[in-house]
Amino acid sequence: MPQGLPGAGLAPGSPAPALQVTGVDPGMVSLGDLVARGCALLVFVSEECPTSAMALRNLGPLCRNWEQAGLAVTAVFEDPLDRAIRVARRTGWTGGVVSQEPPYETSRAYGLLAVPTTVLVDRAGVVAGTVVGWDQPAIGALIEQAGTLLGTAGLPLPPPVEPLRRPGCSSKAAMDPGVAAAISRPAADDEMEEMFERGWTDGLPVVPPTRQRVEAMLGGADGAVSLGLVPPSMGEATLERVAACAVLAGCRPAYFPVVVTAARAMLDPAFNLHGQAVTTQPAGQLVIVNGPVRRAIGLNIGMGALGPGSRANLTIGRAERLIVTLIGGAMPGTLDRATLGHMGKVGFCIAEDEETSPWEPLHVERGFEPGQSVVTLIGSDAPQNISDHRSRTPEDLAYILAWAAASAWSTNWWPLAEPSVFVICPEHAEMFRAAGWSKQRLREFMFDAVRRPASELRRGETTPFVASADPAAAIPKWASPDAIVLLVAGGEAGRYSAVLGPCTGMGAQIISREVESP
Amino acid sequence: MTTDYVSRDYVSPFDERVRQPEPLAPRPARVAGRTVALLDITKNRGAEFLDRIESQLNEAGAVTFRSAKEIFSKPAAPAVIDEIAARADLVVEALAD
Repeated sequence: MPQGLPGAGLAPGSPAPALQVTGVDPGMVSLGDLVARGCALLVFVSEECPTSAMALRNLGPLCRNWEQAGLAVTAVFEDPLDRAIRVARRTGWTGGVVSQEPPYETSRAYGLLAVPTTVLVDRAGVVAGTVVGWDQPAIGALIEQAGTLLGTAGLPLPPPVEPLRRPGCSSKAAMDPGVAAAISRPAADDEMEEMFERGWTDGLPVVPPTRQRVEAMLGGADGAVSLGLVPPSMGEATLERVAACAVLAGCRPAYFPVVVTAARAMLDPAFNLHGQAVTTQPAGQLVIVNGPVRRAIGLNIGMGALGPGSRANLTIGRAERLIVTLIGGAMPGTLDRATLGHMGKVGFCIAEDEETSPWEPLHVERGFEPGQSVVTLIGSDAPQNISDHRSRTPEDLAYILAWAAASAWSTNWWPLAEPSVFVICPEHAEMFRAAGWSKQRLREFMFDAVRRPASELRRGETTPFVASADPAAAIPKWASPDAIVLLVAGGEAGRYSAVLGPCTGMGAQIISREVESP
Repeated sequence: MTTDYVSRDYVSPFDERVRQPEPLAPRPARVAGRTVALLDITKNRGAEFLDRIESQLNEAGAVTFRSAKEIFSKPAAPAVIDEIAARADLVVEALAD
């Protein structure tokens, strides 16, 4: 006979009292229903009790297996149903959940002094055993007893993790009613906190994805449509889940076509999101927007283009990252193994100032028409500032811009095959316009400018290419001019451009897609 | 009686499908006479590690062959997986540098 900690509870052989409880699906739950397929295991718990939480956490993952063998497992909370559900979810409980209201008639009927108390009820509705508190060996014996009653060997037992025994807390049925009411008084139910409890966050507060908000985001699109599987966990990106991420991120419905198009681009196998999502390097997924949609949805192309201040930029980038972390399962510290990461991994969306730029915009370079709205995805490191207020020739300015990237990725890692993205500020762009420099001329000048003899790059980490090169050979920073991506954005005053280093080793291509309605 | 705790008021961003873990293949007690694939994911110095493992496996009587991923950051090509599945009893994969 299993023996728990000293306490109360009905003796084996006693008839199990009826349950006066409210269930989840929906309404009341009867003991007869629970034992109909074999036996019932009732785990009496309360929200405020740490030992109850421990019991739920230790037993929770096993419930589904026990259910399959005919042991119906139910957590009987001495708390309101909504709080019971929240605790069950937080603790990973997979069994049933029921709730009792004051004065906790069911707990009283079972003679409870403490929670957790675990009661095994046989098919005839008779108490077969009771364990009070957390007592792993005794609960294990109770499960074995259930196996015997069910004629089943090998029901999984709770893991023997320390502490094996821990006293419970007072059952609310055993308290003075005033005390029970005082500790049960709910804290203000906080929807924002609930989002954190659910894990629907990147660490910042989110907008709760109510059905109404998600439907508004979908704008009539079919939420069941799938964009594909999001690595690394291969969660399916249905439009409904993508819309939920957009809501969580704080997007307006008007941004949704850009969010969906960027998601489709991210999921292009040539982008290798799988590698980017789990890598130890810091890479984020940079979203670059071109074309009329920029102004239509209010993307910031001017002052602070890489920084805070614009809802569209911040929330579109954030929605993409939530797709990777929530649908794809790549949360930092779990499947996202980034050593440091960077703030662009919260969200990283910029738009090009095509009107100020002296050059064809990025999407036109990539084969689209100027009037098309296009999203381009690039795996990218954090921005590094490049100040230049004193160059007086385009050659000098191009030299300064290019050499700022000499240590991109790593000091002596030359050449880089993957793209470095230069965001050229309007004042810098104006110098190239005035001198009549084309984009290609600037790119080739920058490519030619940054070279060092292999002998000077042989210190610490370097590339196999450098290691095997003639010591006098001039090694370029980039494998080709095509690895230099040039955009124009930023405030009209101030001579600050930036370079965003590459994501390397992924074979990740730049992906561009025209924005379409989902 | 198991319950899905996703409130009906919210749309979950999670893919809630429960996936069964793949069972591990049985482990042989000895490697002698077995064919062992040595998979190089092409990370720096992975080949050196496999060289050492290969010589020890050969001393223990295992037959070995080498295989490699095209790039470490992507899943192995189906042809690589198929070859290993067809030829090998066991596989050793050399991971990061």
